[in-house]
Amino acid sequence: MGKIIAVHSYKGGTGKTHVSVNLAASFVKHGKKACLMDLDFRAPSLATFFNVEKAECWLNDYLNGTCKIDNAIIEIDQRIGSESKLSVALANPSTEAIRDMSAKDRKWEMRALGRLLALRNSLLNDKGFDYLIFDTSPGLQYSSINAIVSADLVIVAATFDRSDVEGTKRMLHELYDLFEKKTEIIMNRVLHDTSSKSGKDYVENMIKETYQTPVLGIIPCFCDVAKAEGSFIFVQEKPEHPFSKILDEMAGKIEKSNSA
Amino acid sequence: MYTCKTPRGIRVTKQETLARKPQKILEKITEHLEKLNEKMEIMIELQKRGGTDVKPFLDAPLDVMTLLSMPDHLRKTAMAVCRLGRATAQEVADQTHRARAVESGYLNQLVIMGHLKKERMGRKAYFYVEKEDQG
Repeated sequence: MGKIIAVHSYKGGTGKTHVSVNLAASFVKHGKKACLMDLDFRAPSLATFFNVEKAECWLNDYLNGTCKIDNAIIEIDQRIGSESKLSVALANPSTEAIRDMSAKDRKWEMRALGRLLALRNSLLNDKGFDYLIFDTSPGLQYSSINAIVSADLVIVAATFDRSDVEGTKRMLHELYDLFEKKTEIIMNRVLHDTSSKSGKDYVENMIKETYQTPVLGIIPCFCDVAKAEGSFIFVQEKPEHPFSKILDEMAGKIEKSNSA
Repeated sequence: MYTCKTPRGIRVTKQETLARKPQKILEKITEHLEKLNEKMEIMIELQKRGGTDVKPFLDAPLDVMTLLSMPDHLRKTAMAVCRLGRATAQEVADQTHRARAVESGYLNQLVIMGHLKKERMGRKAYFYVEKEDQG
């Protein structure tokens, strides 16, 4: 049985999209069928990342009820690994679409939740996807809470920024706990020395103590990742880079807990 | 031998007809008791809200912000219905691991609050999130 993973954060710019793309790519690299979905309708970024200017159908259209999910899924040309391809469903990046999505009412959001929940049947059960990865918008937005409610696992991309730490702590107790969601933390852009086991354990314990939540992974601040400016999939282009290894490790952990 | 026809046209013996009667009566009694129980749950809920003349909310979409503002026990029930799409109290109870009677009470409460719709099909009552304008 496949799983839905929502990648969320309290603040923007914590690396959700980068983690989502590379996590999805890592699953595909390991022979899994994964679909990456851009649920950040206020600041869509995957269409730019994958150089898609026009789509037959955007994820916006699926949530509006004007197209089927099959028509919104695009297979990305770049092959990841030997055979597998990454599937994506993109948010419409046009200003008009962003404005339209910002003006939806509660009834629309309720129906959108129903459509997200329906993906479990249409994509996981019928199409045989192993993972759906929702890249969400930060904070308490309707679209991101819809994604969280629909997900089996919520990955919180956090940083050591003080306002992010406090906000994430609140969200853990006032959002994820209320929906009884399995939640794990990825600490991104960590400046502490985690090259040794003791250094990594120290940071991991610090995160666990702060958030009282399991840690999925710790990603040090890599200049190479920043220099890449989101122009390629790290896991695919630089499989030997420590960043890719960490992402592969995370995918492996999720896979292991899924099959347990 | 004496035989008669069932409403579906199947020929059965008199003994078989007599054997079926008590079972049918019991089924009817159960059905009526369930309906009675349901009505009492609604009356209790209405009384809690300050009298029998309280009208249910007609337009209360079950969106995530509403889910967030709900008390924990109702949120659990509402989320189970969201996941199942359309469910009986027993099906919800199987998901939440709470007693069917408890879930039945919470489900009726959510119906009164206007968050869920209820439809009866034979002996079973199904609960679902409003879907007429799903578009």
